[in-house]
This record gives sequence, structure tokens and C-alpha cells, in this order.
Amino acid sequence: MDHPGFFSLAILWMVLWGAIGGAVIHRAYLARDLDVTAARTVGVAVGAATGPFGLVPLYLRTPTLTRAWQALPWIGVVTVFLFAFRASDPDNVCFTSGTFVTSQLVNGLIMGTIYGLMALGLALIFSIIGIVSFSHGEFYMIGGMVVYYMTEVWAPGLGPIAAVIAACAVTFGIGAAFERAFFTPIYAGKVERPNEYAILVTFGLAFFLQYLVQGLSGANPVKASPFFELPRSEWPAGAPIIETTRSNIKLFDMISISTPRLTAAILSVVMLLALIWFLYNTWTGRALRATAQDRQAAAVAGINPGRMNMLAFGLGCMLAGLAGAVLVQAFSWLPQTGAIPALRAFVIIVLGGLGSLPGAFIGGLILGLVEAAGAGCVPDPTRAAAYLPAYGMIILTLVLLLRPQGLFGRKV
Amino acid sequence: MISHAPKIAGSVAAALLVLFPLVYSAGNYDFVMHLWITAFYYAILASSWALLAGYGGQFSFAHLAFMALGAYGAGILDNYVFLTSLPTGTCTEFGLLGTNIVFLPPAGTGDAGACLTAARATWPEGATVSRFPLLLQIAFGAIVGGGAGWLIGTLVLRLRAAYLALFTVGLSEILRAVLSAEIWLTRGQAGMPMSPLFPEGITILGTTYGPAAKLPAYYVMLALFFATLSLLLWVARSRIGLFLRSLREDEDAAEALGVDTVKWKRAVFVLTAAIAATAGAVQGHYVGLITPNTLVLLQMSLVIAMAVIGGLENLVAAAIGAILISFALEFLRTDFTILGLEVDMTTWRLVFFGLLLMLTLRFLRNGVIQGALMWIERRGVGAETVAKRRAAEEAK
Amino acid sequence: MITLDVKDIRKKFGNHQVLKGVSFRIEGPELVGLIGPNGAGKTTLTNVLDGAIKPDSGTIRLNGTRIDPLHPYEIARAGLGRTFQVTRAFRRMTVLENLYVPAMAMDASVNRKEMEEKANEILAFLTIDHLRNEYGRALSGGQQKLLELGRLLMLDPDVYILDEPFAGVHPSLMATIYKWIERVNGEGKAIILISHQMESIFTLCRRLLVLNFGDLIADGPPAEVKNDPAVIDAYLGVEEDMSGTGLLTQEASHA
Ligand SMILES: Nc1ncnc2c1ncn2[C@@H]1O[C@H](COP(=O)(O)OP(=O)(O)O)[C@@H](O)[C@H]1O
Ligand SMILES: [Mg+2]
Repeated sequence: MDHPGFFSLAILWMVLWGAIGGAVIHRAYLARDLDVTAARTVGVAVGAATGPFGLVPLYLRTPTLTRAWQALPWIGVVTVFLFAFRASDPDNVCFTSGTFVTSQLVNGLIMGTIYGLMALGLALIFSIIGIVSFSHGEFYMIGGMVVYYMTEVWAPGLGPIAAVIAACAVTFGIGAAFERAFFTPIYAGKVERPNEYAILVTFGLAFFLQYLVQGLSGANPVKASPFFELPRSEWPAGAPIIETTRSNIKLFDMISISTPRLTAAILSVVMLLALIWFLYNTWTGRALRATAQDRQAAAVAGINPGRMNMLAFGLGCMLAGLAGAVLVQAFSWLPQTGAIPALRAFVIIVLGGLGSLPGAFIGGLILGLVEAAGAGCVPDPTRAAAYLPAYGMIILTLVLLLRPQGLFGRKV
Repeated sequence: MISHAPKIAGSVAAALLVLFPLVYSAGNYDFVMHLWITAFYYAILASSWALLAGYGGQFSFAHLAFMALGAYGAGILDNYVFLTSLPTGTCTEFGLLGTNIVFLPPAGTGDAGACLTAARATWPEGATVSRFPLLLQIAFGAIVGGGAGWLIGTLVLRLRAAYLALFTVGLSEILRAVLSAEIWLTRGQAGMPMSPLFPEGITILGTTYGPAAKLPAYYVMLALFFATLSLLLWVARSRIGLFLRSLREDEDAAEALGVDTVKWKRAVFVLTAAIAATAGAVQGHYVGLITPNTLVLLQMSLVIAMAVIGGLENLVAAAIGAILISFALEFLRTDFTILGLEVDMTTWRLVFFGLLLMLTLRFLRNGVIQGALMWIERRGVGAETVAKRRAAEEAK
Repeated sequence: MITLDVKDIRKKFGNHQVLKGVSFRIEGPELVGLIGPNGAGKTTLTNVLDGAIKPDSGTIRLNGTRIDPLHPYEIARAGLGRTFQVTRAFRRMTVLENLYVPAMAMDASVNRKEMEEKANEILAFLTIDHLRNEYGRALSGGQQKLLELGRLLMLDPDVYILDEPFAGVHPSLMATIYKWIERVNGEGKAIILISHQMESIFTLCRRLLVLNFGDLIADGPPAEVKNDPAVIDAYLGVEEDMSGTGLLTQEASHA
């Protein structure tokens, strides 16, 4: 970075005006007896994006804060941030190389799809049972482990799809059994503080599963071979639009995508479509959605809430397992592998709004993009990698401070 | 009366702990002492976390982050700040009360002390260089930890259970990333060396102990443990403990009855964070090295498991749980072979504890030790209620 | 003298104006009934008065000092206490400890012995003294309501707001609550009583406030309020309910 001082000043300027905007605009709307629910957040965004130039007119005119008002200033904030970054670091590869940026974008979206899938599981559990599972990362890890053992050790002949299905079955089974054994007292009202109990007991499960897998398979990293390998080819020959090597696809000679990740994303999308089909077209799926929307009404309509709880927890864990199952071919796998993805899933569901399924998926895409940007654009590459989990946490902190109900959450 | 039994038992246990290093004569003296020191360290962490979570209802996963902040706070002073009798002229320094406080430029694995070494070469005989005083290092660590506790306590004031847990898990992960990545200051994964608790050794009652001797460290950690437990118990039994429990039960109701919940929530964060930080600083000096791995989630899981299995709402039970479990963890380390299978106990003991944690939560919600204590303490209550009602009915 | 001066309180949740400028004034040891259909905003008004929810506009003065900018705990210490519609006993604290919380919050250096005596006297008055060492969760719903009333006596505020104290209480405990109200009122304290039990309201209160969709539509003696056209209108001709024991519900008013 050429001008770190300028960059820090710009950030300070944005934070300062954001804070002022949040306080002042809220007051202005209160004083005029207008709807204040969005005033603080819009004030922060307008302040950070435009400083006093936007805040003064906003203060004087106090327009109705439509959806556009709630979204557009944030685009302004991002733009201003990018300009400040560019001005202080003009030689950054993220500004000089369009190829690199496109590559990062595509890869960010690919990873985001898989993050979304995993977070969807957590959101599903929350929307039905109302608890946050702290063992989500371990199901992710187990999903990957099952696929590794199936394809490399136990039944290499069956192929990756069978292995992925086995991973789903195992994670669903563990999840459902755990739910029956440990969550039933919550529904019976026998637990004094259900939230804390659920946190601790799923945390205990995480601990148990992680070391169980380590005890069974050892502490050394394992690596599954890619599900599909491509032949080396070019199309059209000479000046290729698509160029493939064994584990890589290159589009237009600029966007480079690793095949394992791509297959993982494609499988995720397929599974996602299957899940949506299940939720909208089967009786059980509809019952699940009904339970998420209104528990009591669903129970009155003859839906057994206990079965829905078990199903939701099993399915949620299965989605995590699935994310692991498709990604094990792209990364090396350890019993501890689940920790960072779990953290990511937390960030995503808070970002998307606890319990909102579309929110979880879109949150996943956003986080994928942010991480790609962080990994690619932060000037010091070793730091950029070390702080990968931190980008999500910055988002989490901002969301908790500014919009605790998340992007798509119902108002509380 | 039964109410005296805990006091008597406590005094006897305390006396035994004080006498133990003097009378113990079986083998492996240093190893056994080390186990006790580690057990006290965990007991401090578990009982302070029990005040935070069990009394205050704040299920924070950042307890070990506070511990690490204390350790690194002390470690940075230990490595980069020295007191000299003469000015170096080249390092960053300032004079205070006749001594110079010298700040070495942090240089990671490089030679941080170049300017000091160069200056020393030119100094006359008798010029002294010493590390930043150990007690002040520990105090600084405690202040850093307490300050972070204040900050986090403020940030999470409005967060409900799940959010609070998520946020603090994330925060600890970030701190670990920072400690691993900022190699220039913390030396990353290699860890930061720390001077022993008594660098020149110490003479107690005519016996001289070297810097690596276990007995002085045992007494330091034991004293810290007793001090912590007394402080925590005093807080828990004072009106502060009452307020904490009331806000744990129902924040709105507590507020409506005049309890300043914001103040007490923040206070319990500051207090327990400062305690964890102090323990971290002392443990860092005892072990001689601090690494970012001291705050992996595993460590936090252990502290939580200890507090829960002991009993979350009883500080003494949490401490006893911590001591028992840290010993159990050590004794379960021995691998064995069963039916031709080699069982790696370093891993399987943790599987066992995960299971124990879950089962305790499920079936013994008050914890194993607290459950037993409560049974003794409260076995009269039901009878009392019945007797009182009967007396009242007869009076009618 | 005790005064509670509420001026033009407005509160909006999203686009829903729940309180539309509520004003009233209480002077001296009044016993005021606050009634209105479900969803009228009674609980919201209570929350605003005790500081749990900040009003969008309006002022509240207690004994001449403004309390609306204060935190709930400050308002409690200033002399306004309330019970909750859904009982909120501290479930894992003993009955005695429940009572100690407000006493110690009010006065850090309270004399322990006096506090214990007072707590025991209150428990005896409320006929739950045999439960003093039981946990809050061991009490029945009605006993928990009594416990809440006991806690308020320990807080000893000037103005008491009771949010549906009779709801879900066994008839045998009603007499105790009546006795409690007489005692507090007799000590010269003001009480705002929210209830759907018209019988109780009409026996106890000499003044009624009627809240309807966030508007205070009537304020006066029960006999007068009962015949107020606006009130009858609000309850859509179910006025026979008002003198009987039936519950006034929103469903009824929409019927
Ligand atoms: N926190 C809240 N957010 C949104 N709406 C609320 C909230 N609290 C109450 N309301 C709404 O305000 C109205 C008044 O509620 P309430 O004061 O509880 O009525 P009452 O106690 O008179 O039955 C209801 O329509 C309720 O849905
Ligand atoms: Mg109500």
C-alpha cells in the first residue's frame, strides 16, 4: 500500500460520519413523529457514504425511508470505500488486472454457493427449533470424512455420487438421533434455560464428534481425489475460449476455476434444487415450512411437531455434511476442519437474518465474495490468508451493531 | 448443624493443599507438582467462567481470549521492555525515578535487543539491566484483559444467548489469527518466550530453589487460586451475586426492581476477564512460553466442560470439577492395546469428556459436584415447607 | 404529595401507532383502573411508564421530576414499580432472595436484619411464608403473582402499576390480592390497576381510564365511564359485559 495514512484517514472519516449520521438522523425522524425503525441504519449509511453533504439534506427533508433508501446508500458506502482503497493503493492487482478480478469474482461465487448450502442447514434448524447448533462444523467435517473413506478406502468402486449419498445418510442419522436423545426435554419444558442448554449440549456434541473422528481416523490430514478429472483440451483450438487441464478450467484465457470446486458448486446447486423441490412439493416439506412459520397453527393442523424437529435437525446437519462431502475433493481434511466453516455459517445466518432460508443463501454468496476480495486484494498476502475468518467477523460485528435482525430477518 | 460442614471441609482441604508440597515424598515430585499447578490454573479459569455464565448468565466463549490477552500483555513487556541504570542513547527510552525504561523495537524472530546489546558493551562494570518487574507485568496483563472485558461486555450488552456465543467464538478466532499473523510482535506460532516466575531463584525458609523449581510456582498458583476463589465467593455472596442471578433469570424484571443490569453485566465481564488474564500471565511465566494455541477452541471446551461437570452455579463445585478433570485428563493419557487395537488415549480421553459433558447436561443439570452439594444443603427445605404448612393449618 | 403526570405519550411500532397521545394525571393515593380491549395498548403504556420502552414523544413526570429519559432501574428507584402481565418471578432464586433483590437495589447499605424481618412479614401477609426457601419455580402461577406483589412491597415505590394481577389466579388467592391493594392504598400510595375483571375494577376503583386503540377515550368515575357513549361505542354495545364478569376482548368489540 502506497498511502496507508490516507486510507486510515478515509476509514476514520467514514466511521465518524456514520456514527454521527446514526445518532442525528434517528433524532430527526423521532422529532418529526415519523417511522424510526430504519432511520438509524440509513443515517449511518448516508453519513459514511457522503459525510455532511448527504446528512444535511436528509436531516432537513426526512423523506419516507423506502426499500431503495435502505439499500442504495450502502452501495455508496462500498463505492466510497473502493475509491479510498484505490487512491491509497493504485498498483493493487485488484485494480490493475481485470482478469484477476473476474477470476476472484467467479471463485467467490462458487465458494459462496457452498457456504450458502452449509448455512442453509443452520438456518433450517433455527427456523424450526429456534436454537443455534454449535456442532455444525463437525457435521461438515464428517460429511467430508465419509466421502473420503468411501471413495478411497471402503468402496472405491461405487463412485463419488454413492459416497455423497452415504455422507448424507450418516450426517442425517447422527443429527436425528442426537435430536431425539438430547432435545426432547426442551420441548417438554423441562429445561430452565433452553437456549443456553442447546448451545452447551451441541458444543459438547462438537467436542465429542471431533475427537471421535480423530480417534477413529487419526490426526493426519487426508485428501480425497477429485470426483471428475478432465482431459487436457482446448476449444476452439488455437485461440481457446475454454481450455481444460486435469484439475482446472480456463475461460476466455482469463477466468481460472478449479474443477473440484466447480463440481462441488454444481452438486450444491443440484442438491439445493432438490431441497427446494422437497420443501415445496412434498407433504413433509410443506409441513416443515408450516411449522417454521407458525408452530402452533401447524400443530393444530395435525402436524407432529416432534417429528418436524427431528427432521429439521437431521436435514440441517445433512446440509452441513453435504457441503463437506462435495468439498473434501478440493481441500485436505482434518478432524478440526469444521471450525472455520462453522464460524462462517454463523456469520452468514446472522447476516441473512436468523432463520431466514433465502437470507442464508444470499448471505453465503455475499460472504464468498467478501472473502475472495479479502484474500485477493489485501496487500500483504500472508496476512490476507491468516485473516480470512476475520472478514466474516467484521461483517458480523457490523450487522450486530447496525441491523441485528439481519438483511432478511423478520423484525423482532 | 449442616451449615458448618462445608466450611470445615473447605478449611481442611485448603490446609492439605498448603502442606502437600512439603510432605509429598512419593516419586515424580516435579511432575506431580506440575499437575497441581495446571489444575489450579484451570480451576481459576473454570470458577471465574462459572461466575460469568452460571451467575451472570453470559455464556461467553471469549474467556480464553482474555486469558491470552493477559499472557501476551505480560509477555510483550517481558520481551521488549527493560529497566537499565544507564541510558542507552540509541533505543527508545525514558527516565523515571533514576532508572531508564527501555523499549526495544519489536523485531519478531530477529534481534530485538540490538540497540541494548550495543549500548551494554560500552557501559562500565556494575551497570544493571533488568526485566520489567514481574508483578507489574502481571498487573498490566490483568488491566489489558479487564479492559478488553469492558469493551466486549459493552459490545454484547444487548445480545441474546445465541448471538453472544457466536460473537465471542468469532472474536476468539480473530484474536488467534492476529496472534499467529503478527509475527513481528508475537513471534507467531513459534510462541513468545517468557522469563520464569523467579528468574534468580528464591530462598524460602533457608532452602534455595532454582528458577525451574516447582515448589515456588506451586505456591504462587495456589495463592492465586485461593485469592481468586475468595474474591469470587465474596462477590457471589454479596448483593452483586444476587443482582447477577436476578439479571440472569430475567433482565427486564430485574431492571424494573431497580437493578442496574448494564452496570453489573459489564462489571462481571471486567472482573472475570481480569481474573482470566492474571491467570494467563502467571501461567505464561510458569510455562516459559506462550503460543496462540493456548486459545484454541479445545481449551475453551475444556474449561466449559470442567465448569459444567463440576456445576455451573456453584463456584467451588466448578473449581473442584476443574481440578478433578485436569487430573483425570492426565491419568487417562496412557495408551493401551485392546484386542490387538492400539488405543490412542490422548484422543479417546477427550471423546470421553465430550460424552460426559453431554450426559451431565442432559441428566444432571446442576453438575456432578454441585448436584451432590445441593442435595446436602437443600435436603431440609421440602420437609421445612411441609412442616410449616401443617403448623399453619393446625393453627387455623 | 404523590403525583404522576403523563403528557401526550406516543409510541409507534413500525407503522403501527400503538399509543396516540395518552395524557392523564394522578394525584395522591388514588386507585385508578385502566381498562380497554385486548391490544388497546395497556401493557405498552405500562412499559413506557416504567422505562422499558422509550416513547417516541411525550413526557412523564413523577413527583415533579421528569422520568421518561431515565433507565428503568432509575425509574424504579425514583418510585414507580410495576408487575408483569406474564409473571416474572426469578425462577432459580429462593422466594426470600426474590424479595431481597429490590431491597438491596434500592439501598446498597440496607440493614440485613431489618430487610429479613420485612421480607418475612410480607411473606406472612401474602400467606406464602411457608415457601420462603423454595425456588421461585416451585411456586404455582398464582403464588408467583403474589411473590411479584411482595417484591414490589420491598421496592416500596410511590406509584404501583399492576398489569392484570387477577389473570389466572385461583379465587382463593384473590382475597389476598384485594388485601394487598387495600394495604398499599392505605399507606398512601397510588395504584394503577389493569384488569379485565370488571367486577374487581368496579368494586375497587373510584376512577377509570379507558384506552381504545391507543387513545384514552374516557377518564372519570366508573358510573360516568360506564355510560359514556364513546366507551359504549368502543365496546360495540356489549355494555352488559362491563357490569358483569365477562371479559372484554377485541373479538367482542369486532363482533
Ligand atoms: N414490541 C412490539 N412490537 C410490535 N408491536 C407491538 C409490540 N408490543 C406490542 N405491540 C402491539 O401493540 C398493540 C398493543 O399491545 P398491548 O400493549 O400488549 O395491548 P394490551 O396490553 O392493551 O392488550 C398490539 O397490537 C400489539 O400487537
Ligand atoms: Mg396487556
